Amino acid sequence: MSDRVQMLVALQDLELMIREAEDPTSKETEEALGFTMQGIEKLQMDCEQLRKKIPKPDLRLYDRIRRRYHRVVVPVVSRICTGCFQGLPTSRTRTIPTSRPLPTCESCGRILYWL
Amino acid sequence: MTAEQFLSYFSPERFIKDLRARSKDGVLSEMSKVLAEDDDVRDPGLLLEMIRRRESLGSTGLGDGIAVPHGRSTAATQTKVVFARSKRGIDFAAMDGKPCRIFFLIVAPYEDNRHEYLPLLGKIVETASREDIRKKFMDVGSHEEFQEVVRGAIGE
Repeated sequence: MSDRVQMLVALQDLELMIREAEDPTSKETEEALGFTMQGIEKLQMDCEQLRKKIPKPDLRLYDRIRRRYHRVVVPVVSRICTGCFQGLPTSRTRTIPTSRPLPTCESCGRILYWL
Repeated sequence: MTAEQFLSYFSPERFIKDLRARSKDGVLSEMSKVLAEDDDVRDPGLLLEMIRRRESLGSTGLGDGIAVPHGRSTAATQTKVVFARSKRGIDFAAMDGKPCRIFFLIVAPYEDNRHEYLPLLGKIVETASREDIRKKFMDVGSHEEFQEVVRGAIGE
């Protein structure tokens, strides 16, 4: 898998963790089970640092899709985009030359991530 | 949640009888690698990064020798749990400062459409909080024995 997609997956996971840590319901549930969720500033700093490492065109694409869907990067499972559950053409492969745009689903536009 | 529903998240491949790791980060790494051998979870690097970040929010070492590292990741398509044990005990920065010996690593998909992640987390904490069950977990020698302990605990 491309390092470019990997960085976007890491960013998406990190943004989800921050949202959950900020969400009162999730936070209360975890704290009721005995877990602490107090290092949110560290996660926010990690998020800013990670964004700086991502190539700008990739980040622009990510943020553009993000305005439409809260899940931007989606796994491909059995040649199906798990964002919209449409099949992908057989010409689609996991190999992405570094100079090429990131692979997106022709149906929903999300960035594709081959597991 | 029934015992069988609970056990469906575990497997013999995700049972670690005695961890080789001797540090908190080593435990996370060893358990993530086991998880990444599964068809539904393939990227140990991403998983480990996510789990480490969750630990930076606060240790998941709950005390009484139990730790439940957990998180949701795009790198997972199904919710899975790894059970691991360390006979020597590992400093996991637990709330009571004691070494942890029993570990449950939970990884769930980014989209928790079946709303199973938090109930599963709750059930694991509830089960492992019982002193009698913790003692039995320390004695199990195989996944099958682990299943029997869980059936006894949840079926009661």
